[in-house]
Amino acid sequence: MDTLTGVEHLAEPDGFRAFVEARSSALLRSGWLLTGDWTSAEDLVQTALAAAWPRWSSLRRQDAPELYVRKIMVNTFLRWRQRRWTGEIATGRLPETQAYDVFAQVDARQSLLAALDRLPARQRAVVVLRYFADQTESQTAAAMGCSVGAVKSHAARALARLRDAPGLAELMTGGVAS
Amino acid sequence: MNTEERQLADVLHRTTPEPPRQVTVEQVAYRLVSEPRLRREPRPRRGGLVLSRAWAPILAAAAVVVIAGASAGIAVLATSHHHSTPPAVGAPTSSSLSSAPASSPSQPPSSTEPGTPATRIAGGPWGAELINRYAFNQDSLVSSNGSLYADGNGFLNRIDPATGSIVATAQYNPPLPNPPVIVGNTVWVVWSYGGGNVYLHGYDARTLTLTESVLVPSIGPVGASASNVLTSGPDGHLYVAAGLTVVVVDPATGNLIKRIYLTEGPATSVAVSPDGSTLYVGTSVGAGPFELVVKNLATGTVVNVSRLQTDSGGDLVATSGGVWGTTGVGMSEWTWFAPSGDLTRAVRIGQGAGAGFASVPSYSGGVVWVGGSHTLTCANPADGQILDTATLPTDHSVVEYFGSPALVGSRAYSFYQDDASQVSGLVRMTPPAACFGNVSS
Repeated sequence: MDTLTGVEHLAEPDGFRAFVEARSSALLRSGWLLTGDWTSAEDLVQTALAAAWPRWSSLRRQDAPELYVRKIMVNTFLRWRQRRWTGEIATGRLPETQAYDVFAQVDARQSLLAALDRLPARQRAVVVLRYFADQTESQTAAAMGCSVGAVKSHAARALARLRDAPGLAELMTGGVAS
Repeated sequence: MNTEERQLADVLHRTTPEPPRQVTVEQVAYRLVSEPRLRREPRPRRGGLVLSRAWAPILAAAAVVVIAGASAGIAVLATSHHHSTPPAVGAPTSSSLSSAPASSPSQPPSSTEPGTPATRIAGGPWGAELINRYAFNQDSLVSSNGSLYADGNGFLNRIDPATGSIVATAQYNPPLPNPPVIVGNTVWVVWSYGGGNVYLHGYDARTLTLTESVLVPSIGPVGASASNVLTSGPDGHLYVAAGLTVVVVDPATGNLIKRIYLTEGPATSVAVSPDGSTLYVGTSVGAGPFELVVKNLATGTVVNVSRLQTDSGGDLVATSGGVWGTTGVGMSEWTWFAPSGDLTRAVRIGQGAGAGFASVPSYSGGVVWVGGSHTLTCANPADGQILDTATLPTDHSVVEYFGSPALVGSRAYSFYQDDASQVSGLVRMTPPAACFGNVSS
């Protein structure tokens, strides 16, 4: 009954495994900051790495595989949010989620995610790229496909919103270490 | 950067946790071959990658994808039907262990890994004795037809309960916590769970040879933080949480025979009552609260929707009296019982687990079992009444963990871990008669 329609072989590019092993942790952490959970973060990183695989040689020649992977991650994240985004997320119920966890470290993470949830998707992406992935404004602009001015604007607005986020101010002034 | 920006950067670096596991090249390869568009497109286009209802027929026709991962290359076999008996070449079966990817576990079990001479665990509950020192995944243990099945370290394993020996294996990396589901002579597992589709694999219950592979197209992305997304009903059908639907699959034919649509959010956990009348679905959206949806399977109507005031929940197990599940994550997880699936009447069962362990209910031998790192409990499936509880020992103040047991005959088997002495494996116990008294499933 079953009809074989194709057999193909995809060779693993040189240096791809070393990159995945070396950078997967950092990429997953960025994914976690973008999406707020590890399952989606893994999905995001796998999608980006799969997209990078076929053009790996070219990316290596340009010495830019990580920039490309991060670009795919951000674009994929923005597309996901385009589908899911329905306006500002109410944050009123988020603090209740801490009821069963007595560990300050977990509280800090939840405060951070709750703060990031206040941001529109593009502002969140700028925060992650600029302040976590330590990319320059021009690299961030290239990853997001916008101007440097737009990056500065998103960053300024994000910082303004985060100033009012409950719990984040304490973290920024010397809260719980991980 | 100004001071405020530096402070924010510091918080992001300091607070963002390390991931629980890494992405592997094999996972990426799987995505690449199962989603050819990732190869075709020079870059993702706006709106081009998101799966929608329009993708469903395309994915349904896309059929079986079998991968043999190897450091030198990836072989892909595609068939025109979504259900088939995949060819042995390259299939991740027990016979293909020798060609395992370079990044597969460094010490995979052989197909006949011997058990351990039974060793009593000091202070262990119900006469617990260690019969196997292999590190299975927490709460993946199930029993069927006199055998035990569990996954761990990259393999699905069949275990002989008499000796603790691993008697058959198949290469398998679970994408999420979900105990194997046995229907007839087939052991079903979730092979892939991410993005817009779900792959199920079926293995021969005796040899663990791969015999079936089913693609279940999702409507919308599958739920994040999901667990127990695959279960079976008394009708012998498989029920799969697939995005905004629960899909009913006939395992005999691989046909997707019914979609049950949800409006509450993507399904993250699913269970079917033992009489087949009721479907329980756990849903959550982002950081929103965990919701439990109760549906009448005959009419498709929603019977009840209730919430937990927490964003985590799942691991649903249905019994005659209602549904059981978990809340809390990682360091603090415990089990609840919701009569008739109503969370507003939920009661806590057992003392839960700490130290990164999970406390997940199991339903075996007509009894509900709840393990953890504090107590091991058996409970009545009809009313949630606790029938007996054993206190779990500690090892020099470090918790010891006993998973929720699976029953074979009158003996209970569970995953065990002692972090202090770095011992883990399978334990065999003899639960007290109280666990079986007046229990009706």
